[in-house]
Amino acid sequence: MLDLMALLLILSGITFFFLGAIGLLRLPDLHARLHALTKADNLGLGLLIVGVALLHGSLLVALKLLLIWLLVLLGSATSAHLISQYALRRSRS
Amino acid sequence: MSDSDKSSRRVEKPLSDVLSNRDLIVANPRYTLSILALLSLLWLLLTGEDWSSWLVGLPVVILATWSILLLRAPTEGRFNLTGFLRFLPYFIWESVLGGIDVASRVVSPKMRIAPGFLSYRMRLSHPSARRLFVNSLSLLPGTLAADLDGETLHIHALDRATDSDGELRRLEHMVAAVYEEDV
Repeated sequence: MLDLMALLLILSGITFFFLGAIGLLRLPDLHARLHALTKADNLGLGLLIVGVALLHGSLLVALKLLLIWLLVLLGSATSAHLISQYALRRSRS
Repeated sequence: MSDSDKSSRRVEKPLSDVLSNRDLIVANPRYTLSILALLSLLWLLLTGEDWSSWLVGLPVVILATWSILLLRAPTEGRFNLTGFLRFLPYFIWESVLGGIDVASRVVSPKMRIAPGFLSYRMRLSHPSARRLFVNSLSLLPGTLAADLDGETLHIHALDRATDSDGELRRLEHMVAAVYEEDV
């Protein structure tokens, strides 16, 4: 039962990564593409991590995975901010 | 000769910092203890249940706590745990909505998007509160931080028709509660 739930979570996580990649291809400009990359991948990784934590079943590993998720979150939000700031300033000047 | 003079002068400055820092530890033992606890948890997570690792870990945790206290900017706001525990489920729920929102937009055959920029006047003043606000609004549905110009935040919206202003106001209030600010 737990394995099935973990499997579903991991599969939906992969789906969101996939949809994020589709967004990267379909959306018209840089800023819109950043939306897809930050938000869809953030959710995808979150679901993936909950799935893997369920599969492993240890609290210590679950917390470690949570830490990884937080670091990726911080990294993607910061880099998205930097890229969009650079693009906006360059388009103005 | 002059080189050693320079280096000894460089050592002097941290020493005076240490003295003023001792006041800080005594004045705010709760802050110091929570940093110690957090860093110990971090070490535990990284090393697992290998208890002999604490031979290295304990000194490192103490030194890291010490350097965090040294480097802490005096303008940082107070951290409120209750406010943070209320912020966390809101943030997780909104970022789930944000992921679903953008995913459903890109798979619909005619993408329902009307991208554009909007300005938002930020009322938060503490640097750490602002950092949390700007970083989390990029993960919320439809908004992405683009640039900060004094108080004015330039935001890219995936769909200008949605009411981003009300959403941002709500997020700002949640963040303000984490850092005990009035907005």
